[in-house]
Amino acid sequence: MTIKKPFKHTVLKTGVALSILLACTVPASVHPHVFAEARLDVVLGPDHQTVTALRHLWRFDDLFSSTVLMEFDANADLKLDDAELQEVASTIHASLAEFNYFQLVTVDGKDVKMKAPASIMANFENNQLIILFESQPETPIRLAGDIRLGVYDPTFYTAIDFTEDANMAVEGLPPSCTRTIIRPDPDTALAENQQTLTEAFFNDPAGTDMSKIFATKLELKCQA
Amino acid sequence: MKKTFVRTTLAFLTLAYVVAHFAGHAHAQSSLGIGTNDAIVPSSGLFSSLMIWINQHQQAFYRSLSTAMKALRDDGGQVWLLVGLSFAYGVFHAAGPGHGKAVISSYMLANEVALRRGVMLSFVSAFLQAATAIAVMLLAYFVLRGTSVSMTNAAHFLEIASYVFVTGFGAWLLWKKAGPLVKRLAGAAPAHSLSAAHASHAHHDHDHHDGHCGHDHHHGHHHDHAHHHEDGAVCSTCGHSHAPDPTLLSSERFDWRTAWSAVAAVGLRPCSGALIVLSFALLNGLWLAGILSVLAMALGTAITVSALAVLAVTAKNWAVMLAGGGRLGNRIHTAIEIGAAAFIFLVGLTLLSASLSV
Repeated sequence: MTIKKPFKHTVLKTGVALSILLACTVPASVHPHVFAEARLDVVLGPDHQTVTALRHLWRFDDLFSSTVLMEFDANADLKLDDAELQEVASTIHASLAEFNYFQLVTVDGKDVKMKAPASIMANFENNQLIILFESQPETPIRLAGDIRLGVYDPTFYTAIDFTEDANMAVEGLPPSCTRTIIRPDPDTALAENQQTLTEAFFNDPAGTDMSKIFATKLELKCQA
Repeated sequence: MKKTFVRTTLAFLTLAYVVAHFAGHAHAQSSLGIGTNDAIVPSSGLFSSLMIWINQHQQAFYRSLSTAMKALRDDGGQVWLLVGLSFAYGVFHAAGPGHGKAVISSYMLANEVALRRGVMLSFVSAFLQAATAIAVMLLAYFVLRGTSVSMTNAAHFLEIASYVFVTGFGAWLLWKKAGPLVKRLAGAAPAHSLSAAHASHAHHDHDHHDGHCGHDHHHGHHHDHAHHHEDGAVCSTCGHSHAPDPTLLSSERFDWRTAWSAVAAVGLRPCSGALIVLSFALLNGLWLAGILSVLAMALGTAITVSALAVLAVTAKNWAVMLAGGGRLGNRIHTAIEIGAAAFIFLVGLTLLSASLSV
């Protein structure tokens, strides 16, 4: 019969070694393979008191664009004609549906339901794929409280970049509102959200999307 | 009391392992519907800051890589810069997602594979992956263009094939490792050492052919083979058991078929980054640069995968060593082997179901 204490010691040490072993094989994150420079135009209602639509424009990088050309060039002429572009657009339209068209829309922290855009337009200019679409909230969002708008890919496949603050624009924003662009610093964002992340991690291991936290956001704060 | 403690510890470790690894396998198909995504989504577990660090670097290298490609197209930028960036990208990319690393490391954990050989397997699988990417690209350009089969279809098909292989390989390995245990528990076999058990220093449990020579059988975690050869002067057969003769390498013969199936399972799936770089290269007449870039990526990937596999095996050896000789060490050894085999199987199954469900 072994004495308990040294035995526990051995198990503990073994445990530590095993933990190192496990840590070595933990999978890390995916990274975007596609980059898109984005522009978001927030459309207000005629009275400038509600958000009625979001207009999106994404310009994809040259490398991904060449993959698209390779894939959709049905007649092998190394150009994308209208029919082929239509095919690109409908493929993207169908795929994005599952991800709420990469949109993040909240009012005072609560998600706002967005209608699916009727269609997506695709274009190929200077070797770059460009897509355009407009989506509407199920009911117009009243300009009150803290409205946040962002565009991100929850799967990390596409990096949506708003290179300049001006690329998130609101025309005719009333003076009662302030417009801020939030570019979260990954480390701070992570620290701030540690609690929620940990909770979300245990509640829904597959559903936690850090990309949401890291996404560039347009914040509109309005006195009602 | 003792047993409960060990079991609790093991159960906890297993849980940690499963949670860390299966936290977010999903979306093998890409969100845009064009191209394939790497199938592992970041988990927000304990290592999130490390992951974010790796992610940021991968991303930075990938961005520089695409800038370098564009520079080459526009005014003849420098090829060596592209190659260097591709290499760096490969190093970071393999530290990130990917079934390659998981399969090779687990394969090495499940089998007593000499480290050198494990490193070689990592390299072969990385270069096979590069070759697959090049083959898919050539096929896409010369054969598939203008047909209804797209490159995404081809890549997706290979991806599924790869995952089927991984799953099958894992199942087979699991059967090989856990089979004897199951039989023994059923009382069919005598209760002696059941694994390949080079549980270092656990001599009394060894009953393989060259056990009488008094070697420690540090296969795997030491590189001083020359030293053993000198010792081998006393006992020539023993010394030779460290030479690359497959039949003598270990008590359990190094199985080339097993090794090649691991390599094939990994190498069949082309990496999406490589496909994107290659399609750009091909469309802009930069095919040599594209191929060099993909080969450099493979080299970088191979280095990281080898390093991680070596780390995993070293940690396993520590765990077994710290547990001391005897039954505990042996049990841990067996548990790691079976666990690793089960892990390959589960990875394969998870990835397969993710890529089939979309």
